[in-house]
Amino acid sequence: MASQEAGSLASKQRSEHDERRKAMPESVVGYLFVAPALFGFFMFYLVPTFRAFQISLTDWNLLRAPKFIAFANYGTLFADPKFWDSVRLTLGYVAYNIPIQTCLGLLIAVLADRMAKSVLLRAVIIAPYLISNVVAVLIWLLLLDPLLGLTNGWLEFLGLSREPFFSSPGQAMLSVAGVSIWRHVGFTALLFYAGLQSVPRNLYEAANLDGASEARMFWTITLPLLRPVLAFVLVTSVIGSFQVFDVIAVGTQGGPADSTRVILWYIYENAFKFNKMGYASAISMVLFSFLIVVTLIQMRALRAGHSDLD
Amino acid sequence: MTQSAFATDVGISYWMWDGNQAPVYRKCADKFEVANPGIKITIKQDGWENYWTTLTTGFVSGTAPDVFVNHISKFPELLANGVMVDLTKGIAADKVDMNAYMPGLAESWNKDGKQWGLPKDWDTISLVYNKKMLADAGLKEEDLRNMTWNPDDGGTFEKVLAKLTVDTNGKHGDQPGFDKSKVAVFGMATNPADGYGQTEWSHFAASAGFKYIDKPWGTKYFYDDPILAKTLTYLRDLALVKGYSVSQEQAGKLNGSAVFAAGKSAIVPDGSWMINSYKDNTPFAFGFAPLPSGPMGRRSMFNGLADSIWTGSKHQAEALKWVEYLGTSECQIVVGKAGVVFPARPEATEVAKATQLSRGIDVSAFTLLATPATTFPFPITDHGSEISSVLKTAVNKVLLNQGDPAKILKTANDEVNAMF
Amino acid sequence: MTFLRRLSPGQILGYSILAIFVFVSLLPLWIAIKLAISLPNDVFRSSTSLVPPAATLGNFKRVLGLPSDVVLASAIASPINFALALRNSLIYTALIVSGQLFFSALAAYAFARMKFPGRDALFVAVLGATMIPSIVLFIPNFILIKDLGWINTFQGMVAPSILMTPFAVFFMRQFFISSPKELEEAAKLDGASPFKIFWTIALPIQKGPIATLAILLSINAWNEFFWPFLTGRDESVRVLAVALSDFLSQTGQGIPDWTGLMSAVVISILPILIMLVVFGRRIVESLQSSGMK
Repeated sequence: MASQEAGSLASKQRSEHDERRKAMPESVVGYLFVAPALFGFFMFYLVPTFRAFQISLTDWNLLRAPKFIAFANYGTLFADPKFWDSVRLTLGYVAYNIPIQTCLGLLIAVLADRMAKSVLLRAVIIAPYLISNVVAVLIWLLLLDPLLGLTNGWLEFLGLSREPFFSSPGQAMLSVAGVSIWRHVGFTALLFYAGLQSVPRNLYEAANLDGASEARMFWTITLPLLRPVLAFVLVTSVIGSFQVFDVIAVGTQGGPADSTRVILWYIYENAFKFNKMGYASAISMVLFSFLIVVTLIQMRALRAGHSDLD
Repeated sequence: MTQSAFATDVGISYWMWDGNQAPVYRKCADKFEVANPGIKITIKQDGWENYWTTLTTGFVSGTAPDVFVNHISKFPELLANGVMVDLTKGIAADKVDMNAYMPGLAESWNKDGKQWGLPKDWDTISLVYNKKMLADAGLKEEDLRNMTWNPDDGGTFEKVLAKLTVDTNGKHGDQPGFDKSKVAVFGMATNPADGYGQTEWSHFAASAGFKYIDKPWGTKYFYDDPILAKTLTYLRDLALVKGYSVSQEQAGKLNGSAVFAAGKSAIVPDGSWMINSYKDNTPFAFGFAPLPSGPMGRRSMFNGLADSIWTGSKHQAEALKWVEYLGTSECQIVVGKAGVVFPARPEATEVAKATQLSRGIDVSAFTLLATPATTFPFPITDHGSEISSVLKTAVNKVLLNQGDPAKILKTANDEVNAMF
Repeated sequence: MTFLRRLSPGQILGYSILAIFVFVSLLPLWIAIKLAISLPNDVFRSSTSLVPPAATLGNFKRVLGLPSDVVLASAIASPINFALALRNSLIYTALIVSGQLFFSALAAYAFARMKFPGRDALFVAVLGATMIPSIVLFIPNFILIKDLGWINTFQGMVAPSILMTPFAVFFMRQFFISSPKELEEAAKLDGASPFKIFWTIALPIQKGPIATLAILLSINAWNEFFWPFLTGRDESVRVLAVALSDFLSQTGQGIPDWTGLMSAVVISILPILIMLVVFGRRIVESLQSSGMK
């Protein structure tokens, strides 16, 4: 960087001829800027991923030497009904989790932005996120317990029927989604809130003068300008959603009766409980490829690379 | 991690999962260190969920402990992976008396004449009951002790449960007008059932004649036995049709012990490792009664933990000394005095009983059943983890009334037997 | 509070929604506090009431290792040093967040504003990193850190995520993209070096997003569990999340020590709450003086 400082000083006194010889071509600077991150990416993401792919081609139980079996694991998994069940469960989870979480988050952010800008409110919004997933699930297990939970106590008080929540195959997945939404809505709302702050206020003022309603302003001004942030939120929450794990690990362990055995839990079971590392890695590779495709589609659909301000 | 007073001190690490036991074994360790200068023991405790993951990553990365507490369900896998040291020669050379333990314990850790673990403690199941609720229902302890059961009409067991179940209008289960959809206090609570049903259904099935596998280390499971289907159907209907017990859907993660402590059930079948937990969390008088007698008599699952040595340990000789010390009368009596578990040696078990009695808890219901005639072992075969997962799903489905029990169990049984 | 005077139906709806949201968000936190101040025997007995029948500070004392009148028969083996765990969490979080912010902003800026061959492909690769199920990376990374001799050290715990945090890179890039380029272009014409432009112009504009990112990263780091669990078990580096898990698991197969656990949880949330309040004000200040106009 020192040479760049010297270069910039010198450039002020340069003649036109010298101007063509800039301090450093932008491409090199670009690489310098991303170098540390790229190094981290290489060492801790890329190499381990290749290693994981390698493992997926073996039969390995962590304790004895791995046995090379080429693509046999992939063959097994395509024929494995438990794998397909886990895919179905995960897709279902993502399908109710994402729309609810995103819309709620957006709603809260807009309400907070337009109606009650206060630091206290923002602290409350983020409060659930402060608690780790593990603790959040424990508290919700207590709250939603079929016999001892506060929620059922209140439902009964209101004359409604008690619900089994985590203990019933029919409601377990929904309960897991509920806990996850509880924890992440605030996070999502904060992201949107940050995005809302970068919408120039004068656009709202002008629209107000034109007599536009709040709803109209939202659809025609806020939403389009939020596109990069919306893209970011959707992409990251979809990816995160496919990898739901903590809540299930602590709350249901894949049950009851396998009703919450999502993909990541099935991978974990195979890797750490059944000691089938090769098989677990193969499933992860499939999940990974799927997520890449999903994200590319999303990014393209949302044109996340451009802001409407341009 | 090991503080050595002298450069020549050998550090032995010892892992366990029960937090209640760690301080007790520290006392044993202190005595051992005095008798064996030059060896220092560090004890580490990690909860059940994390324990096996940490142990496995330890085996892989070379940071596993020298000695670790072992559970019979993991025995086959650990043996297949060659991570345990064969103790046979060592204990023969040191003349360890393998008959000094409760019958059945040492044998369960022996395969093909080789000893892979030294017995540490044992546990059985009994019924925890609420003393006041018993009295209010007009029952006495003898009534509990004399209960009989069968999978057809539930025997006197069901009658007792009916008396103990109360609905929100105050009607007991054996009174006309009892509303099973509005139960305030259940006769019996249960943990969410798993594939082996150690505290939930194993005693019922076994006392009706059910056998899990053909033999220890066998290759054939018998979950398609009609006796099991009958037993599970009985238990399912006890909850869903009669309303005397907590159903699977109502059995939350908090377990039967929480429901019991909240005063929502009169009885809970549970294991002897929970004795102190009940003491801490139950704000009323409770007692332990033996399991009911089924057609074949009383049966409880009998489980015994052991201490094993890691093959990667750099100090196997010292590790063996520690393991042997753990099996001595001296150490086990220290453990018994703390009253946390029932040590494997009979004399130490008596000490444990006395300790609990001095705290006002009579644990004879557990010891009553600790005989070879009235116990059956935890089923051990290869592929333990996968099998456990399949069986758990099947049992859950049956108890949740998600299909015909016989069909569900047969499908699971076939899947399991196909793994061999 | 002038808006109280002219509430339209839409506004009433809006405020009601906010009120419900606040209630649902805070209820579980209140339950945690309620359990922290309850007596162990009352945990299940009064599980359906909002207020504990009797309150005590004994659980907090117990958990911090101070003498307390709340004693359990299933006494804990090696008392967890929560004060030390707190210190470790502070060090870990400070280290990792400052590194993450710096390196990610640097990379994000390049992705947003600079042109270099393979830029878009690399960015997609970075995004791709988030899609790798983390479980898959743990074992190879664990073996790497072990080979470096970095188990039970702070560098071992921060290594995999300090240089590259795809989420942060993505986040900052989107914000750099959505802000106007005029100021930066002006500086470029003046002959300022790229790093100078980045550090003195582009970055300060993003104060708001950076503050938000800092909060989110801090919370993530504070609650990070699995990796510190694998690589930082020794008391000298054990962070709160791992300590909490160790504490929870100490009651073995018995009933969890709810009152103790919740006391530890409340203690662990306090620093974050404090940080939030401090940062919260800075967000408002920085937004109001934003150089965007």
